Parts: sequence; structure tokens; C-alpha cells
Amino acid sequence: MSVRSDARPSGRGSDLLRDDLAHHSASTWDPTRHGAHERAVPPELVPPPRTVGLVRRLRALRTRHLLRRRRAEHFVAGAMSPDRGLPIATARQVVTFLGELLGRRRGLLVAVLLLNAGAALASLFVPRLLGDLVDRTASLLALGRGSEAGDTATRAALVVLAVVALQAALTFGAKLASAVLGQGVLAEARESVVRAILRLPLSRVEQAASGDLVTRVTRDAGTMSDGVRWALPEAIIASVMVLLTVVAMVLNSPLLALPTLVLMGAATLQVLRYLRRAPAAYLLEGDTYSRINTSLTETVEGARTVEALRLGQRRRDAGRRDIAVSGQAERYGMTLRNLLFIVMDLAFSLPRVLTLALGAIGYERGWVGLGQITAAMLYIEAVWGPFDMLVHTIDRLQVALASTTRLLGVAIVPADREVGSDRPADPAIAGRDLRFAYRAEHDVLHGVSLDLTPGERLAVVGPSGSGKSTLGRLLAGINGPRTGSVTVGGVEITTLPLDVLRTEVSLVTQEHHVFVGSVRDNVGLARDGSTDAEVEQALRSVDAWSWVESLPAGLDTTLGAGHQSVSPGRAQQIALARLVLADPHTLVLDEATSLIDPRTAQHLEGSMNALLTGRTVVAIAHRLHTAHDADRIAVVIDGRVAELGSHDELVALDGEYARLWEAWTS
Amino acid sequence: MKDFPQTVDAYADPAAPHPDTRSPAAYLWWLVRDQGVLFLAALLVAIVWMIPQALAPWMLGRAIDQAIVPHDNAALVRWLALFALVTVVGASSGFVYHTLAVRQWLVALYGTTQLVTNKAVRLGHVLTRRAPSGEVLSVASSDSNEFGGFMEITVRAASQAVAYVIVAVLVLVTSPRLGVLVLLAAPAVVVLALPLLRPLGARQALERSRTSTLTSMATDIVAGLRILRGVGGEERFADNYARASQSARDAGISAGRWQAAVDGVGVLLSGLLLTGLLWAGVREVGAGRLTVGEFVSFLGYGLFMTQPLRSFFELVQKGTRALVSAHRTVALLDQPVPWSDDPTEVALPAAATAELTDLATGFTARPGRLTMVVCADPERTAALADRLGRYLPTEESAQVQLAPDAELKGRAARTERRRQRERRATLAAQERALTSTSWGVTLGGVDLGEVPLDAVRERVLVCDTGPTVFAGTLQDALDPHRRLSLAEAEEALVAASAEDVLDALPEGWQGQVEERGRGLSGGQRQRLTLARALALDPDVLVLVEPTSAVDAHTEARIAARLGGFRAGRTTVVMTASPLLLHHADEVTLLAPEPSPHPGTDATVYRVVATGTHRDLWSHHLDYRSVVSRTEEVQR
Repeated sequence: MSVRSDARPSGRGSDLLRDDLAHHSASTWDPTRHGAHERAVPPELVPPPRTVGLVRRLRALRTRHLLRRRRAEHFVAGAMSPDRGLPIATARQVVTFLGELLGRRRGLLVAVLLLNAGAALASLFVPRLLGDLVDRTASLLALGRGSEAGDTATRAALVVLAVVALQAALTFGAKLASAVLGQGVLAEARESVVRAILRLPLSRVEQAASGDLVTRVTRDAGTMSDGVRWALPEAIIASVMVLLTVVAMVLNSPLLALPTLVLMGAATLQVLRYLRRAPAAYLLEGDTYSRINTSLTETVEGARTVEALRLGQRRRDAGRRDIAVSGQAERYGMTLRNLLFIVMDLAFSLPRVLTLALGAIGYERGWVGLGQITAAMLYIEAVWGPFDMLVHTIDRLQVALASTTRLLGVAIVPADREVGSDRPADPAIAGRDLRFAYRAEHDVLHGVSLDLTPGERLAVVGPSGSGKSTLGRLLAGINGPRTGSVTVGGVEITTLPLDVLRTEVSLVTQEHHVFVGSVRDNVGLARDGSTDAEVEQALRSVDAWSWVESLPAGLDTTLGAGHQSVSPGRAQQIALARLVLADPHTLVLDEATSLIDPRTAQHLEGSMNALLTGRTVVAIAHRLHTAHDADRIAVVIDGRVAELGSHDELVALDGEYARLWEAWTS
Repeated sequence: MKDFPQTVDAYADPAAPHPDTRSPAAYLWWLVRDQGVLFLAALLVAIVWMIPQALAPWMLGRAIDQAIVPHDNAALVRWLALFALVTVVGASSGFVYHTLAVRQWLVALYGTTQLVTNKAVRLGHVLTRRAPSGEVLSVASSDSNEFGGFMEITVRAASQAVAYVIVAVLVLVTSPRLGVLVLLAAPAVVVLALPLLRPLGARQALERSRTSTLTSMATDIVAGLRILRGVGGEERFADNYARASQSARDAGISAGRWQAAVDGVGVLLSGLLLTGLLWAGVREVGAGRLTVGEFVSFLGYGLFMTQPLRSFFELVQKGTRALVSAHRTVALLDQPVPWSDDPTEVALPAAATAELTDLATGFTARPGRLTMVVCADPERTAALADRLGRYLPTEESAQVQLAPDAELKGRAARTERRRQRERRATLAAQERALTSTSWGVTLGGVDLGEVPLDAVRERVLVCDTGPTVFAGTLQDALDPHRRLSLAEAEEALVAASAEDVLDALPEGWQGQVEERGRGLSGGQRQRLTLARALALDPDVLVLVEPTSAVDAHTEARIAARLGGFRAGRTTVVMTASPLLLHHADEVTLLAPEPSPHPGTDATVYRVVATGTHRDLWSHHLDYRSVVSRTEEVQR
């Protein structure tokens, strides 16, 4: 599409904005972005060409690695800072929490440890038996009694067979017990997190951004799940194995165990360095993948917009940028692991050579036998697998720990109200001298007072940002005012328990979420213990019962994404039916016309009427006809009630409302 | 050699080669070929890395026989030196192998993600008609990872197969009898354990599917949290979640039981192999056919052989999962575009003089004018807007899943997969039928179906009711093509009365808009997308209910500014709001007409009246009732 022909030099404004906004606009507009392509990663992270010398390339790699480390640590510091969104639990709280979960399963935990120790012991027995066998065979040969080897072989085979069978049985038991333990802990942990989410304070829930919470229940829960299901049991197994193998090695021959012990000790230093760095790398990687996912979700769900605005190339570039950023995170993790592997691989394989050398010297001097050498070599092969596993499970556990601190953070959000014992005497709601600020020092309401007459219909009109939605939230008891009070029947509204508050007043927003679940659950959630007859009655009153009857399983039909699809109009009817069932005497309708999608408006007239009849209604109105039909109209401008009265009174007043009405009807 | 992140142009650049989507196996094979030299290099290094491990038992045996037992120090030094050399070479190749394996994994993963992005962009609005977006996304987020894992295990298993052959040669040369035992027993052990893998795989799939159900439940709870905390139902949903959580736990334990069985049987079978070896080995030593050192080597091999076996198990498991993933991927990538993109001779005439006409309804938008369309059924005006922009009708019911439900197994899954394939084919055929003949909307006499789609998109912009706001700076949200001057941007912003969005962000134009405009109110989102459409300044702009979420004050302002901003360009607005209608150059009323073909029950909507809002309001009763009805919604 062509750029407008009367284009002015960019950088100069349009003279259309009021002064302060024009300044804000001109000072933040970036004219240099014309046709520019964003760089996904800074130039310092691009490796030098292969033509430069190896030393310089290695030095450049080190520089990049350090820069990537700073980026990863910066990210973690941001993700773990409690001043952003929901709080984050401390590691101590997580350990306490896990301790409680495991404490409730003490018997199982002991079984897991014992079975694993048993399996490890059995497996460690085999190299010793084989070593003995080699010794015995060698001495038989030396004595020239090779023909007796057959009997020795049969006896040894039977013993090994028995040990192996025992090891197999113990392995089965150990793995099974670990799975039962891990799954049990995981299930209880995630259930308690979801219950914590469902206890979040009202005012917290109503704050717009739910992205943080979504990330916590998806990615963090996934990481925790991997940690508990896989890493925790494997870490237990691996640490038991490492510990017992080392003991077995020393028992076999302290001399031959020496190379392994020394090199393992040396490698441990590097392992500890790695473990200190690795969680940041994994957390950053995880975050870059969810970024890739988020922006691809936009591309896929907004495929029509992408096509209409011809943004295909832009979206592909955006995807490629996300991948480039993710690639940098992966490279950091890869280099960290490479630094670990260089050390671990050497520490893993050199003991073979050194032990053989020591063994040869020891054999020469008569300190060790062939059997001991054989067993030592077999132990070397046996110890590094679990050691490697231990390193990897510990880094996963660290990541899981970080995620769990975020998950448990949901549980430590302080309550936003104290429940009192007074109950309302009558359904009259009154607001006195209400002031409220989302940011300190920035009041959006400046001393509003408003009495609702039971049964009346009050329309609140006013320009965007005038504070009318905030007024609605205070009247509905979602937030408490900074100063002043909202009372229902003489009782401070924020001291009512939630289940009482819900029968007094409900805030109805433009949201009409349909849960994945049965029709019964979707409607019946509004009142605990509601019967099918009550749910049916609620659905009837909003004209949705015939639709429910036509569904394959009636009230039991599963609605929502991936199941029975629900049109926006039906979704709105469900939202209305919930309110009918909840039956509050006062409704605050915020952006209620958005609730009534214009595409479905005509079907919903009756449903809406059924809900509103006989209730006090505060309608924060977008459409003037709503105001026209109301008993009283409050015009809110800049946080104050500028005009209050009936339609005719306000038209006669010839103020803001009268001017608007004229525009509407002329 | 390929390295990540590579650039994938398939489906974006017609000249770029497409992946092979003839079958899932073909796609996996294409992924391997696509890696090219990288795959071979990784394989080579993996073999170098494996060889010391394969040679270690042999060298140990030789050293015992030739150096330790005969106390030959010179031979000892020789063997130790060789052993050290091989070991160090192997160990230092470890990190190279790791680097290449990561590359392989990520080339496959990022590549598939880009293929999905390109395909989604290529299909555009057709994609949402055809497949649920959740499934499309899971191809990019989880299937792509399976492919990465598949690449890694393929190379690892192949290198271990090579190690297996080396060991085979060594043992056959040393002792043909024992050699045959090792070589036959090892594969036999695998074959014996194979039957366990299938139930294990099925239970793991069930656990994954239940876990993902849990994740969606939690996401669902968070998405509807306002309702649950506002209206109630916390207990009910917590209990539902707990039930699903317990059933995922049961599936997990069941998978864990089979995993424990597989591991236990693995221990048992490799133990049997070892026992057989030592039994036969000792007898051979006794009979003088084998030295002690050779016997020690055999014991080492008995232990070593379990490693290729385990990799082979892993290959089978991951291969099966990769095939399942490839099924879904192919089902997505194989989708055809319903129209040809061959350049045609026909071009659209200059819009300043061209009328836009819909033959089905008889609707005409005169060039350079602001036309508004009113209809009692808003679905009809939305459908008209789609036709004017050459969009296929939105039918979510037409969507076909990309893969059968995870709980379906065996034959049922295959049947379902075939059914889905057939439905996809039918759908594609229907779409082709819709687009092969003339489209039925003309711009200056040229049918929109005769010109390339991109030419239509360039000239005609249709904004439906739910346009997406993309994450990024406000400047990019308003000016995604980065072509506007500040003045132009401000003009569009003011015309859509969206200054408050700029005002609310402390960083102004550089402030971040969250994905899908989360954090903006419904009204702000709507006005921002209106500003974005206005700023693009298309020749023909079609807006569907552009102010449905906007308050009356603001709507009045937008209505007053819209005509001036679009002066001289063709604009069509679908609305029934008097505030807007008041400012139209011309208003058109759509209403049902008796079907011209008796017997067909589809009601045909046609233009029944045209004029100014004032004319129609005073003289046309139907018009008056449609417009005033929207006024009475909440009475």
C-alpha cells in the first residue's frame, strides 16, 4: 500500500496532539527504523571469520562466552526479582515444602533408598565375583589343573546368575518405587499450586497481566515435573551407585582405586563450577523457547491479520530473530557443557590407563592379583555412568528448584482483605468520598460519593480513562478504596467473606470465558452444591436450555477448545446463566456492550433482560441508549461525578451529556 | 557444514526446495538428508569417540597376556603408551562429538519450527479454517524436539553399531566359538526385550497426553480466574484438577512400572549374557584354547555390549515417537494452497476510479466514498466483508485434527488417521471449487479471482472483528512496515482516537505492547488496530464493526474523523451504529429476499435500499427498525 503522498519529513509531528502528548510522541518516535531490520544478537556475539588464527578465535570464543554468561545471569536476576508481578518463594520455603511432601511418604522413601542400595550392592558384587574367577582360573592354570576349570566355571556361573537375578528383581523394585514416589510427590505439589492459584486475592486476579501466571503453570510446572519425575529418582539412584562403587573399589584394592579417586576429585572442582553456572543457562534456554512459541502463536492465530496486512516476511523475520536469540542461549549452555566434558572425559578415561599401569607394577611386586586388576577395571567402567548421571540430574534439579520457587510464590501472596463478622442488613450500597490510586500519588478517583437505591438502574458514562471502571470495581468490592468507604447494608464491603460478597454484588466484565468442562460445571460453578434443576432453570431463563438439550450429552457435554465448540453468543449466555444462578442483588456491568457482541445482539436481548430484572444495576455504558433507558445517569469526568440525574434532567442541564446525546441523535 | 540457526526458505521462496512430505518416513529421511555433511561428520566423530571404549577390553587383555603375566616391562610400556594414546584421542573427541550432536539436534528443531512458520504464513487465513491452532503449534514446539532427539540417537546408535562390528571382528579373531556366542547372544537379548517396548511406549504416550491435558486445565483455570474468583467455583475446579492430576499420576506409575520392567529385564538379560560368557570362557581357558588376558577381554566385552543394546532400545523408542510426530508434521506441511500463484496478465485498475461490486448481493462501493452497510444479521455483513477481500468463509467446524487422539491405539488410530486424511482432501477440493471459477466480486470490472492474491491484498484491506495485535513496540504495532513519518503515525492515531494508548506508555512509541495486545483494554485494542489499518492507507478499506468495544464519547470522535482521514479513497464500514452511519456518504441496507430458486431454503440477502442515513431513517421503515433495534438491546 502506498505511503501517503503528502508525507512530511519524518521526525516532525502532526500538530494534532495536545502539547505534552505531542512532546511525548516526538521524543519517543524513532525515525531511524525506516526499513531497518532489527539485529537479534549484538555484533559482539558473531564469531570472527575462520581465516583468523586459532588463538584469536579461541580468545573471541571466550569473550562471547563471558558475554553470554552475563546475559543469562541478567535474565535470571530479572526472572527471580520479586518486584515484578507475583512474588517468588525462597529456596528454603521450597525445601521445607518438599520436605513435608517427602515426610508424608517416609516409608516409601526408605523403600526407595533401600531397594536402590540393594540393587547397587548386587551390581557391585558381580565384578568382584568375576575378578575372583579370573584369579582362580589363573591359579588352576598355573598349577596345571586346567581341566578342573569346567567345575569352577559352573559354580561361578550359578552364583553370578543368582546375583544377577537378585539385581534384576531389586532394580525392578527400585525403579517402580521411585516412580510411585516421584509421581505422588509431583501430583500433590501441582495440586497444591493450583489450589494456591484459586486462592489468589481478588484484587490481584483483576490486575490485567496474567502472562506471568500462565508461564508459571505451564513452563515452570513442566520443569518442576521433569525434575520430580525423572531427575529426583535418578539422582537418588546415581548417588547411591557412586558412593557404593567407590567403597567397593577401595575394598577391592585401595591402590588401584587411587587414580579414580584422585581424578574424580579433580573433576569435581570443574563439576562444581559447571553446576554453579548451568541453571542460568537452562532457565534462559527455556525462556527463549517460550518466546519462540509465543510469537509463533501470534503468527498462527493471527494468520488472517498477517495475510491482510502482508506481514508474512515480518513474521518470518520475527520467528528467525527468536530462533537466533534461542541459538545464543543454546550456545552458552553448549560451551558450558563442553568445558565440563573436556575435563570429565579425561577424568573418566585416564584412570583406565593409570590403573592398568599401577596394576602392572603392583602385580610385579606382588601387591595385587590379576583378579583385583580385572575387578578394578570393571569398576572404573561402572562408576562413571552414575557419576555422569549425577551431574546431569543435579543440574536439572537446580532448574526444577528455581521453577518451584516461582510456583510456590503464588502461595505466598498476602490476602487483600480481612473478613469481619458483620453481615449486611439490607441491599443498599453506598460509596463515601472514594479515592483510589493504582500508582502511589496518582489518584484516579477524587472523592466520589454515590448512593445506589435498591432496584434502580444507574448508567455511568464518561470518556475512556475517566475512572468509571475503577468506580465500578470499588462498588463491586474488588478493590478497597484508598480513602472513604463502600458499604452494603451498613457493612464495609471488603470485610465480607467472598461467598457472601458474591450473593450481594457481581462485577460483569466483557470477558466470557468458557471452561473446558461440562455444561453443568460451566454454569454450576456460580453456586456450590447447585442441583441440575437449578442449573437448568438458570439456562432456561437466558434462553439457552433448548441449545443444551440439543447437545450430544446434554448437561454432561464437554465444552471448550478441542471439544464441543461454543459460539460467542452461547458463551455470553453461559456467562449470564452463571450470574442468574449466583443471584446477587446488585450487578456492576463494565463494558457490558462488549459482552453483547453486536453479531449476536439480537439473540441476547431476552437473556440479558432476564438477568437484570429485579436487580440493582450499575451499567458502565458505552452505548448512549443504555444511559437513556436508565433511571439515573452519572457522568464521570477526570475522576469526579460531573453530572448526576435522569436523562431528562441532564439534557435540560445542557452539559456534557446533553452535547453527546445531540451527536447521537442528530 | 550446516550450523544453527540456519535460514529455511521452503514455502516462502518458490525456488527453495520443499521437504519430502509424501510419507512420515520420507519426511524423517529428508531431515537426515537435509543435514548433509553435518550428519556424516557427527557420525565420524561419534565413531572416533566410541573406538577407545570398544578397544579398551582388548588392549587390557593383550597387556595382561603379553606384559603383566610374563613381567615384560618393555612390552608393558609399549601397551600402556598405545592405550594412553587411544584413550586421549577418544576423550578429546568427546566435546567435538557433543558440539556436533547439539548442532544436529538444533538444526532439526529450529528447521521444523521455521517450516511451520513459513507454512502458516503461506496458508494465511486458510490455515485457521483447516487445522486447530493448538495442533499447529505443537508441531513447532514438541514434534520438532522429537526430530532433534531422533537425529542424535540415530548417529549414536549408528556409531555403536560400528563399535559392535569392531568388537565382532576382534572376538571372532580371538576365539571363533566365544565370538559367535557374543555376536548371536547380544542381538538375541535385544529381540527378547523388544516386546516390552511396545506397551511401555503406549503407556508413556498416555502419560504425556494426560500431562498435557493437565497443563491445558491449569491454563484454562488461569484464563478464567477472574470468573472463578469473581463468581465462584474454586472448589469445583480444584477438585476437577485434582482428579485429572491423579489420573495422570496413575498413568505415570503405570508407565513407570513398565519402565522398571524393561530396566529389570535389561539387567537380567545382560547378566545372562555375561554369565554365559564367563561359563564358556573359563572352560575355554581350562582347555587351553584361550589365555587369561583374552578371557578378561571377553568379560569386558560382555559388559560393553550392553551399551549398543541400550542405544538400540532408545532408537526404537525415539524412532517410534519421531514417526508419530512426522505424521502430524506431514499432515500440516502437505496442505495445499487453494489457489494458484501463477502471475497473470490481468491487473486491477486504479482504484480512484474503480467501483467495487459484489455480484451476489448487488452491493457497490463507489470510488473515493465512505459507504456503510447495515443488516439485521451482522453475520451477513461480516460475510460480505470477507467476500470483498477474497477471503474464504470462516468455518471452524471445517477444521480437521492433524493427528488422532493420543488415547486411540493401533487399528483405531490408523482408521482415524485415514479418515482425517480424507476429510482434509475433501476440504481442499471444496476450497479449490470455490476459487477456481470467478470470485464474484469485481474492482473496476475485473474479477478479484483473476488476479494474484497478493495484488488483491495490496489494494484491498479488510479488517475483520478480531484482528491480532502483535507484541513489540507501539511504533511497530502501528507501523509494522516501518514506512511512516511521525506526522503520519500521529494522524492515524488521532483519527482512530487512540492517543490514550500512547499516553499510557511511559516509553511512548518505544513502549512494549504485549502479545495479542494483552494489557490493553478491549476498546484500546480495537482503536489501535483501527489506527494501524488507517495508517496503511489502502486504496480500498473494509472495516467490520470497527467501534463495537468503544465508548460513545470516543465513537463519536472516531465517526467525525474517519471520513476526513479517508477522503478520496474507497471505504466500506459494516455497522449499525447511528453515530457512525451519520457520517457516511452513502448507506446500504442488506435484507433477505425470497430465494429466486424455489425449493432451496438458503435465504439470499441483497441490497434493498441505498441513500444517506437521514433519508433512510426518515423514509425506510425496515432500516429504521434495524438501526433502532441495536439501540434497544439493553432495555
